[in-house]
Amino acid sequence: MKLNHLFDLSGKVAVVTGGGNGIGKAVCMMLSRAGASVAVGDLKYEDAQHVADEIKAEGGKAIAVACNVTVDEELVNMVDETVKAFGKVNVLVNNAGGGGGGRENPSKISVDDFAWRFKLNVYSAWRLSQLCAPHMEKDGYGSIINITSMSSINRSPNMSAYAASKAAMNHMTANLAMDYGGGKIRVNAVGPGATKTAALASVLTPEIEAKMLAHTPIKRLGEVDDIAGAVLYFAAPISEWVSGETLFVNGGGVQTLD
Amino acid sequence: MKSIEQLFSFKGKVIIITGAAGAIGGAAGHLFASLGANVVISDLNGEGAKKVAAEITAESGVEALGIQTNATVEAELDTLVQTTLEKFGKISGLINNVGWGAATPIWESDTDKMVKSYLLNTVGAYNLTKRCMPYLEKEPNASVVFSGSLVGVTPSPEFIEYSTAKAGLMNLVRSMAVVSGPKVRFNTVLIGSVDNGDSTLAAGYDPEMLRRLSEAFVMKRRGFPMEIAYGMMFLMSNAAEWITGIDLRIDGGGTYKSKMPKKD
Repeated sequence: MKLNHLFDLSGKVAVVTGGGNGIGKAVCMMLSRAGASVAVGDLKYEDAQHVADEIKAEGGKAIAVACNVTVDEELVNMVDETVKAFGKVNVLVNNAGGGGGGRENPSKISVDDFAWRFKLNVYSAWRLSQLCAPHMEKDGYGSIINITSMSSINRSPNMSAYAASKAAMNHMTANLAMDYGGGKIRVNAVGPGATKTAALASVLTPEIEAKMLAHTPIKRLGEVDDIAGAVLYFAAPISEWVSGETLFVNGGGVQTLD
Repeated sequence: MKSIEQLFSFKGKVIIITGAAGAIGGAAGHLFASLGANVVISDLNGEGAKKVAAEITAESGVEALGIQTNATVEAELDTLVQTTLEKFGKISGLINNVGWGAATPIWESDTDKMVKSYLLNTVGAYNLTKRCMPYLEKEPNASVVFSGSLVGVTPSPEFIEYSTAKAGLMNLVRSMAVVSGPKVRFNTVLIGSVDNGDSTLAAGYDPEMLRRLSEAFVMKRRGFPMEIAYGMMFLMSNAAEWITGIDLRIDGGGTYKSKMPKKD
C-alpha cells in the first residue's frame, strides 16, 4: 500500500465552493495535491482566480468560477463550467457558508436574516448536491462533503439561526447518504471548531481566544489544514464504506464566543 | 501546508495493536507497517500474532513484533509494554482493538458473562492505555484509537454483554480525551458489521443471516477489515492532529429498515 494510492484522486474532478480563502482554499490545495482537478468557486472571482493560479503554479489543474451560492443560476453555472472544463464531477465540497459569529439576538434578527442563513448554508449545499449527483453517478465515483460547524451540536448564545442551519446540514448529510446509498455517491460532513481564518479574526479577541482554549483539550485553535485533512479522508477511496457521517474537528472541546 | 506524504507517513513510529491476529487488527498492522511504522502485533493467540508479524515484515520490510497477550491479565500487559520498549525504545501509538462478544438473549445473561465482556472490551483497554501513557506523552502527536462498535450506540438486546461494554468504552475514551491535553489524542472508530471471517461465524451467524445483514446496510454490503484500518490510520495521522474525543462511524452509511415493508 503506497500513500499515493491511498489518497489518489488523479483523474477525479472536485468542485469547492467558498474556495478563495481560509478553509476552502486549504481544501482546494489539498485535493489538488492528491491529484484532483479543482473548480474553485468563490463569491469573489479574483480570490478564486488567485487560488486557481496557485494550483496551476504547483503543476495542478484548476479553473476559477464566480459563484454566489444563494443564486440558483450561479450554482447551475458552477457545475456547467466544471463539466465544460473537466468533463465530469466526482467530489463536491460545500464549504461556502456564513452568518455565524454570535450576532443573532433573537429579538433583533429579522425573518429575512434567518431565511438567508438557511439559503446560504443549507439550500446551497442541497442544490449543488442535486446538480452534481448525476455526474457522479455517471462516472461511478462521487463524494459530497458538507462543511458544517461545531455549533451544530453546541448550545451557543445568539446563534439560533446559524447553528440550526448547520444542524440541518448534518441531518441532510445523513439523509442524502441514504438516498444515494445504493449508488456510488457518499455524503459526509466535517464540523470544524473555531478555526483560524479571516472570518474568525473578525470576532476574535485575545480574551475570547483564552476562554476558548480553556475548554479545548488540544490547546490551540484549528488551522485550515486540520479541516482540509478531514476533507481529504472523505474525498479519497479509503473512506469508501463511510457515508452519512459528521466528523467534528475541534480539538476535542468547545470554543464559544462569549 | 504539509505534503500528503508528511501528513500520512508513520516512519519512526512504534504502534501497538491488540487483537491483531484477527482480521481488523491484522489489516491495521499491514497498513501502518506499509506506511513506515514498527508495529507490535499482540493477540491472545500467540502463534497467530507471530505469523501476522512475520507476514508484515516480509511484505513491508519493516520490523514487526508478534507477542502473546491476554488483555485481561495485568502482568501480561506489563510484559507487552516492556517488550515493546526493549525492542523499539518507545510507544507512539496504541490501537485497543481486542474485543469479544456473543449472541445472548437479553434476559439470559448473568454476572459472569457481563463481567467477562466488561473485562475484555473495556477494562483491558483501560489497563493497557494506562501503562502506555508515560511513553505516549513523550512522543509527538501520540494517539490511541479504540475499536468501538455500532452495537454500543444502538439498542442491541441480542448482544447485551458486548453492547454495554462497548458503550462503556466510548465514554471511557471521551473522558481520556478531555484530560489528555495536547499530549495524547483519544478517538474511537465505530465499526459496523465487518467481514472478519471466522469470528463472525463464531458469534452465531450463518451465511443466510450474513446476506440479510449485508442488505440492511445503506451500501448493501458489510465492510472490509482494511476499510476500518484506513479510518484508524487517518485518526492517528498528522492530518488528525486537532481531532480528539470523537467517534468516527465506519458503517456503510448505517442500517435502514423500511417503515413500509413489502408485503412479500
